[in-house]
Amino acid sequence: MSKCKKCEAPGTIVLRKKDLYCDSCFLNNINHKFRSVIGKNKILSKNENILLCLSGGTASTTLMDMVHYGISLDSHKKLRVNPYALHIIGPGNEDNVQVANSVIKSCKHYGFDLYIIHIAEYVHDCTSLIKNVNAMPETDSISSNTFNEILNGMPPTAQNDFILKVKQNLYVKCAKELSCKFIFTAETTTTLAINLLSNLTVGRGSQVQNDIGFCDKRDKEVTILRPMKEISKEELNQYISIKKIMPVHNCNMLDNSLQSVISTFVTDLQENFQSTVSSVCKTADKIGVHDDSKYDSRCVLCKNVFNNSGSKISALEATVYSRLVSSKKREDNNEFHDNSLIEQTSLSMFPYINKNLCYGCSRIYSEMTLCDLPDVVKVHLQMSDKSK
Amino acid sequence: MPISCKTECGRNAVLKRPKTGDALCKECFYSAFESEIHYTIIKGELFNRGDSVAVAASGGKDSTVLAHILKTLNERYDYGLNLMLLSIDEGITGYRDDSLETVKQNRDDYKMPLKILSYKELYGWTMDEIVAQIGRKNNCTFCGVFRRQALDRGAAMLGVKCIATGHNADDIAETVLMNVLRGDIARLKRCTAIVTGSEGTIPRVKPLKYTYEKEIVMYAHYKKLVYFSTECVFAPNAYRGHARALLKDMEKIRPACIMDIIYSGETMTIKDEVSLPAQRVCVRCNFVSSQEVCKACVLLEGLNKGLPKLGIGKSSKAKKMLDEYNLKQTESSGLKEAISDLNDTVSSCIAKAKTCKSGLCSEENNVNKNGSINKNVNKCNSNKCCIGQCISKENSQIQKSISNSKVNSLLQQYGLDDTSTDNEQLKLVTNPHENGHEDVLENSDDEQSHLDEDNTCSASCGRMGSLQIGF
Repeated sequence: MSKCKKCEAPGTIVLRKKDLYCDSCFLNNINHKFRSVIGKNKILSKNENILLCLSGGTASTTLMDMVHYGISLDSHKKLRVNPYALHIIGPGNEDNVQVANSVIKSCKHYGFDLYIIHIAEYVHDCTSLIKNVNAMPETDSISSNTFNEILNGMPPTAQNDFILKVKQNLYVKCAKELSCKFIFTAETTTTLAINLLSNLTVGRGSQVQNDIGFCDKRDKEVTILRPMKEISKEELNQYISIKKIMPVHNCNMLDNSLQSVISTFVTDLQENFQSTVSSVCKTADKIGVHDDSKYDSRCVLCKNVFNNSGSKISALEATVYSRLVSSKKREDNNEFHDNSLIEQTSLSMFPYINKNLCYGCSRIYSEMTLCDLPDVVKVHLQMSDKSK
Repeated sequence: MPISCKTECGRNAVLKRPKTGDALCKECFYSAFESEIHYTIIKGELFNRGDSVAVAASGGKDSTVLAHILKTLNERYDYGLNLMLLSIDEGITGYRDDSLETVKQNRDDYKMPLKILSYKELYGWTMDEIVAQIGRKNNCTFCGVFRRQALDRGAAMLGVKCIATGHNADDIAETVLMNVLRGDIARLKRCTAIVTGSEGTIPRVKPLKYTYEKEIVMYAHYKKLVYFSTECVFAPNAYRGHARALLKDMEKIRPACIMDIIYSGETMTIKDEVSLPAQRVCVRCNFVSSQEVCKACVLLEGLNKGLPKLGIGKSSKAKKMLDEYNLKQTESSGLKEAISDLNDTVSSCIAKAKTCKSGLCSEENNVNKNGSINKNVNKCNSNKCCIGQCISKENSQIQKSISNSKVNSLLQQYGLDDTSTDNEQLKLVTNPHENGHEDVLENSDDEQSHLDEDNTCSASCGRMGSLQIGF
C-alpha cells in the first residue's frame, strides 16, 4: 500500500512520476509554495492594492482561487491584500466573448471586481483605459482592425513576443489607473522555463530578470510579481482537478513559432528528465540586469534599458556586417570598414536600435510588413527623437 | 526563374544566406564569407602580428574551412601569422583514424606543419577502451575533457601564442541552450566569449564564431575542400543532442535566431551575488581547472581504479566513492597476503606522518590490482615508472610556485614516501626499470626531449598524487 510522503494517509496524487501525496498534503504544499514566494521576498506591505491579471486559463484561475483562499483565512496567515482583477480581451475574435464571460462569472463567484479592456486599446495613447466594472467593454472596431493589421503583418514568432509586450504595457497602465502598486501574473515555473528559452532566442538575454524573475521593476511605480513561479504545470493540473475548477482553455501561442517549438521541446524533455524545468528556472534566477541607475534610456516598446555586450564585437555588428557585404559588390578590401557605411546598414537592418528600441524589439519592428507602429509607440519615438 | 545576385553583379544567385536572407552568387558568396571572417578577426583583435597559431584540426568541415580561410586571409591581408595544425587522436576506430587521414591531406594541401597527439600516449587510454569501461552513456564527457587538456598540452609543445578552434555560430548557440538546460551558469557566462582562457594559459580564439554551419558546408562544397563528414560513432547519446535538435527546429522557423541567441549570451549579466568558480591551475597536472584537481585528473583516476563513474556527476560524490573504494580495498582479505612483506614500511610510514596513510592506501590498491587480477602487467610497470618521475616533477613545480612552509614539509614527507613505496614496488614487480627511472629523473630539466614521457606521466600518475593532495 503506497502512502503519502507526508502523512500516513493513502496517497492519491503522483508527482514527478514517483512522489505520492494525499489531497490535503498536496494542497497545503501548493499553497505554501504560493505564500512562501510572496513572503520571502518581503516586498508586499499590509493592505496593498494588487491587480490580478486573468486570462481565463488554468494558471490564472488557480491564482485567483489561491488569493481568495489566502484572504479568507482569519488567522495570522491571512493574506492582507486588496485584489482587483483585470482581463484583457484578444487578440483574435473567435471565443473572446465566451472567455470574457466565463472570467466575469468566476470573479463574481470569488467576489472580486473585474475590469475588462480590449488589447487593441494599445494603439491609442489614451489616458483612461478603464470604463466599467464587471461588464463587457464596447468593441471599437477601428482600433481592433488596426491592431489586427499590425499583428498580421508579422511572422508568428514576432507576434507572440509583441503580444506579451503589449499586455505588459497594458497591465502597468491599468494598475496605475486603479492605483495598484503591484500586479500579480500567473506564470508557472513551466511557463517561465519556456519564456526564458524564448527570450534567449529572440535576443532578449539581457532582459531575463524582468521577464522571468519573481519581481519585475521595470516601471518605477508599479511592480509585476509572479507568485506562481514555484508551481509547475503538473501540480496545477492536479490542483484544478481536486478543487474542481473549470478554466476556459485558451492557448494564445501561435503555432509555427519559436515559442511553440520551445514549448513542445520543454514539455517533451521534462517527460524524460524530470528536473529540466527546475534547472532552467534556477539558471534564470542567477541572471541579472545591468544596473538601471546609470542608464536612463529605455526601449519604448518593452521598457527595458539598452545594453551593450561590452566586447569588441557582438552578434549585432556581425549581422550588420553580413548584410553589408552581401548587398554590395566588393571593390577594395578596406571599403567595408568604413564606419558610416556600417552605421547606415545598421539603421536599415535594425531600425531605432539602442536609441528607441532594444535589439529584440528592433528585430520585431524590422519584420513588420506594415511598417507602421501603433500611435503610442510612434509618439514615444518622436518624443525621444526630439529630446536628442 | 533564377534569382539574381543581391550585389547586382549580374550573375545568378546560388544560395540564400541564412543569417541575412540575401541571395548571392558563388563569387559574391566567397567574397562575403571571407570578408566577414576577416572582419571578426580584426574587430575582435584575435591575433597579433608575428604570432604562432595552432589550428585545432579534426579533419571535419569546420576545422578544414578554418585552416583554409586562415591561410587565405593570412596571405591576402598579411597578418604575419605562423600557422600550424594540431590534431588529437582520441583513438576511436571507424572515426578518428579516418579523419586523421584528412588532416594529413590538409597538411599537404596547405603546407602547414602538423602535430598529432593521442589519448593513448597522453593518458594511457584510447576512447575505444574508455567506452568499453563506461558504456555509451557519459563517454562524451571523457572525450571532451581530455581533448580540452590535450589541446593545451599540444599547444604548449608547439610553443604557440594561441589556439584557433573551428566553433561555428551553431555550435555556440547550441552551447548557450545546453548550459541553460543544465543550469551551468559558469559556462553560460563564458561560452559566448570570442577569446577564452585565463591568465597564464594559452588563449583560444573562435574566428568562425559568427559563421553559420550551413555556409561553412556550402563554402567547403563549392571550394571542393577535402573534409571528413562522418559523425562520431559514440556521439548520438550525448545530452547535447537535445539542444542541437531544438536549435535545428528553431532555425527552420527563423534562421536569424542563431545570431539572436549568441547576442543574448553576449549581453547577459550574471547577478553579482552568484559565486562562480574561479579558474585556476590543477595542483596535479598544472593545466587550467576550476577545482583543486582538474576534471581530467579525476576522470583518469576513475578509469585507472576501475571506477569509471568517478568523475561523472558532483565532485562530492567522487570523494564518497573514493572513500568507499579505499575502505573496500583495505578490507579485502586477499590483499593481506600480497602485502604482508610491505608491513614494515607501512608502519614506519604511519609513524612518520598521518597524511601518508592515504597515499599508502593507493599503493596497496595498485599492488592489489597487480597481484590479484594479474592484468596489464606492462601498463603497471610504466605506471610505476612514472609515479616517481611525475611526483618529483610535481614536487619541483609546486616548490617553485608555493612558498608555504607547511606544504613544503608535507612534500618532504611525500618525497620520503615515494622512495619507500618505490622500493616496495620494486620488490613486488619482478621487472624494475631502476635505471630508466633514474635517467628520466636526471633529464627532467630537458623538457623538450622527454615531453612525451613527461606527459604520459603527469596524466597517468594522477592516480597517485591525487590521493595525497586532491581528495
